[in-house]
Amino acid sequence: MGRIALRAFSWLVPAGRRAEWLEEWQAELEALEGFRRSGISRGYPGVARFVAGALPHAAWIRMEGWTMDSVAQDLRYAVRVLRRSPAFTAVAALTLALGIGVNGMIFSLVNGLLFRPPAGVLEPERLVQIARSYDSAPRWDNWSWPALRLIGEEAEAFSDVAGYATDQVVLGRGESTEPAAACYVTGSYFETLGARPALGRLIGPQDESAPGTSPVVVLSHGLWLRRFGGDAAVVGSTLEIGSVAHEIVGVAAEGFAGVDVLGTPPDVWLSALQRVIASGTVPSDAWGSSWIEGFGRLREGTSFLEAEASLDAISMRLREASDMNEDMRVLLAPGVGLSPQERARGRTVSLLLSAIAGLVLLLTCANAAGLLLGRAAGRAAEVGVRQALGAGRARLTRQLLTESLVLALAGTLLAVPLVGWAGRAIPAVFPFPLAGSVGADVRVYLFLVGVGLAAGLLFGTAPAWISARRDVARTLREGGTTGGRRHTRVRDALVVCQLAISLALVSGSLLLGRSLLNARDAQPGFDPDGLLVGFVNLGATGRYTREQGPDFEDRLLPRLEALPGVAGATLASQAPVLGGHSRSTVQPAERPDDPRAGFEAEFTSVTPGYFEALGIRLLRGRTFRAAPDEPDPVVVVNDALASLFWPGQDPVGREIVRGEQRYRVVGEVAGVQMRTLRERPRPAVYYLHRQAPQTNVVIHLRLRSPGAVTPSALRGAVAAVDPDVPVTGITDLRAGLARSMGETRTFGILVAAFAGLAVALSVIGLYGLISQGVAQRSRELGIRIALGAGGGSLMRLVMGRAFALAAAGTALGIGVSVALGTALRGLLYGVSPASPWALGGAAALLLGAALAAAWLPARRAARVDAMVSLRD
Amino acid sequence: MPRPLGFTTLCVLAAIRDGSGYGLDIVASTGLPSGTVYPTLGRLKKHGLVTSRWEDQRLAEREGRPRRRYYALNAEGERALAEGADRMADMLSSLSPGSLRMAR
Repeated sequence: MGRIALRAFSWLVPAGRRAEWLEEWQAELEALEGFRRSGISRGYPGVARFVAGALPHAAWIRMEGWTMDSVAQDLRYAVRVLRRSPAFTAVAALTLALGIGVNGMIFSLVNGLLFRPPAGVLEPERLVQIARSYDSAPRWDNWSWPALRLIGEEAEAFSDVAGYATDQVVLGRGESTEPAAACYVTGSYFETLGARPALGRLIGPQDESAPGTSPVVVLSHGLWLRRFGGDAAVVGSTLEIGSVAHEIVGVAAEGFAGVDVLGTPPDVWLSALQRVIASGTVPSDAWGSSWIEGFGRLREGTSFLEAEASLDAISMRLREASDMNEDMRVLLAPGVGLSPQERARGRTVSLLLSAIAGLVLLLTCANAAGLLLGRAAGRAAEVGVRQALGAGRARLTRQLLTESLVLALAGTLLAVPLVGWAGRAIPAVFPFPLAGSVGADVRVYLFLVGVGLAAGLLFGTAPAWISARRDVARTLREGGTTGGRRHTRVRDALVVCQLAISLALVSGSLLLGRSLLNARDAQPGFDPDGLLVGFVNLGATGRYTREQGPDFEDRLLPRLEALPGVAGATLASQAPVLGGHSRSTVQPAERPDDPRAGFEAEFTSVTPGYFEALGIRLLRGRTFRAAPDEPDPVVVVNDALASLFWPGQDPVGREIVRGEQRYRVVGEVAGVQMRTLRERPRPAVYYLHRQAPQTNVVIHLRLRSPGAVTPSALRGAVAAVDPDVPVTGITDLRAGLARSMGETRTFGILVAAFAGLAVALSVIGLYGLISQGVAQRSRELGIRIALGAGGGSLMRLVMGRAFALAAAGTALGIGVSVALGTALRGLLYGVSPASPWALGGAAALLLGAALAAAWLPARRAARVDAMVSLRD
Repeated sequence: MPRPLGFTTLCVLAAIRDGSGYGLDIVASTGLPSGTVYPTLGRLKKHGLVTSRWEDQRLAEREGRPRRRYYALNAEGERALAEGADRMADMLSSLSPGSLRMAR
């Protein structure tokens, strides 16, 4: 291997010194191997380390001729040459700017998702996520108040442990009501993060020592500016949140948005302990309610692995502390911001986006290389004269490569505003709300420079090498006007590569577009057409307990049914696909003590008439009757749960257990896609609203005709019951389902934009190539005309060449298209990655574009004046 | 060389003076990586502080191995090493007691 490496490195050494260099290194390597074989190794490096040193030595010899003066000379010359042809320079630089800029934009997003530490947090690399799991049912889940407290007290690996939970709240009252994103935090939250306030103070342990006194709130910097006009006197005043007066104790630093990368950035921070007390629970008893995300700061001198090793003891303590913690286990993950599952998904998405951006860069580099080669024809005389004056091939190559690097630098500078714009544009098309920033930072700009450099080397090396290799005598003899067959072959290859990449991108965007259309027409187990939904969060108002939820619902339903245009109304605790999702562990009553029989099924609490209103098919038994006619606890299950618990049997009449409560199954319905359109329906249990009260209420209205009920009419119906209850997210369910294909849509937009760019660049490249071919062959065309060829046959000749290139690009591109389709598989819906429809459509588009590009040059060929061309 | 010799360059010169004749030998005696030693030898040669020669082919063949390139200090190199060692000694004596092996 060492000898192979030395041979490879020797290619860097100038030809005149290569043989001696290789002889010396090979002799040394043989000596080293001899010493090691005879057991003498003291002082001698390993073979790999020794051979690795040959590379810098070879590079040093190569660069020996490089002085600051000669490099400066090359730069000056490059700038002069590029200024002499402004049109070429502008086109090349803009083309490169697009390719480099696209990569910078994608990296900006990847950086924000995966690499960028949360703003305003001290030493984020020492933070770890702490999650709840079970030996028998591994998961990544949040904590109850007393459990997190115990971890904070007992875990010596951490200097601080903290928790948070996000929710929606309502600020103000009456007309100044405003929904807001809240973050409930433990007293140690801000301390653990090392965050500093912009004004006043942040929530601290002192706010937990005397709970029940005036609750406090910290405002986000954005809310402070937006609602309070940046008034410094806001500290000490009160803000009504959920109908309770909170004292404003401080304003968070600008840019601070907590630790989450995904999700809405918080507008307010509130005390988690206050929330537990307000719910009527004694904090130390609240083992059964898990809702707090946990994280900690590693103690100074403690590594992540050491912290992991100490977890067994903590898990034991948790199990001893409460019966509810049987089997519980503590898990850690390094860093904060994304859970391990989110990080894995983020990595997949990032790789996919980066691969697509890489294709675009390859395409723009091929375009730039083609432009350089096209121009090289006109510079043959200049190169020939310089060679005659003594410039070696290496020197010429270096100078031509410098021109490419200067072009790449220009493209990089032009790409900077594009990347800056991306920071604002990306959140608008991203399928999830982004709490963190995706704007450009130092890392992104360094990446941009790196990509620019790589692009310059990529598109510049081959043309520089080819151009510098000219036969001096022949060039000067021919007056330096010939294009060179080698140039043309390389340009042909470049155009074929561009067309192949274009095919892949067009095919990809057709696949994604088709997926969106399929999703729009999907039948997800219920009838989404003519269904209007709206979300009500009674808990956010602070005036409804869970038990009061059904009373509100019973007062609301008649008003909704009375609205003109409503064919049916129902309320539920969650909406298909759109939100409010909840799960709860249930198990068959005949196996109450078997922990393996339990399953976390979808939990939906509904009013009677739910299944009928949504068009969910009843398979066995019956649905719910009105509350007075349902004295016993009853449930309806879906077919997935029935086949899980009682495979092949009738579930009606059987019983399930949830917590301490038994429920009798009265009906079985067909599965409904509750979370995403791409997953099979999960096992689900439906509860009657009075028997499983909730404070999340989703209004479902079956309309007689589209648009029969307006959002304001719906809001009016709710306000008539309680004016302080806002309704959010009012949407037509069919449109909401379409929006749920958010990731597919984002990729669809990006890939379609890149495909458009790719096709445009390929067409331009092909047009330039064919045009130049016609100009170079004018003599031959003149001869053909003189011999009797008609205009039509000449056109066919030229178009034929374009068609051949496009066909070659299509053939090459099929493999790339299938590979891209396979990579996009997770985003597709109802269409195969190698769909012949998409490939055929893309090929037809590309062939058509290629023929269109060749049309004008072909007409020019048909009109060649034989007399003129033969004379020249 | 236009600049005063640096520490690694002086180490390489000292190793050659002390009998390490070829590249691998110098790597072993100085502990410097090969990617540092060989370019340094190239610079020293270019600036006329060391000379190099290929050993006799027959000698190498007798020992059953390829011939090696050997390096040797010339008068200019000896002088540069002595000057550099003095300079290093002055610098280090202002930091800590003790003498440099190279200065001897």
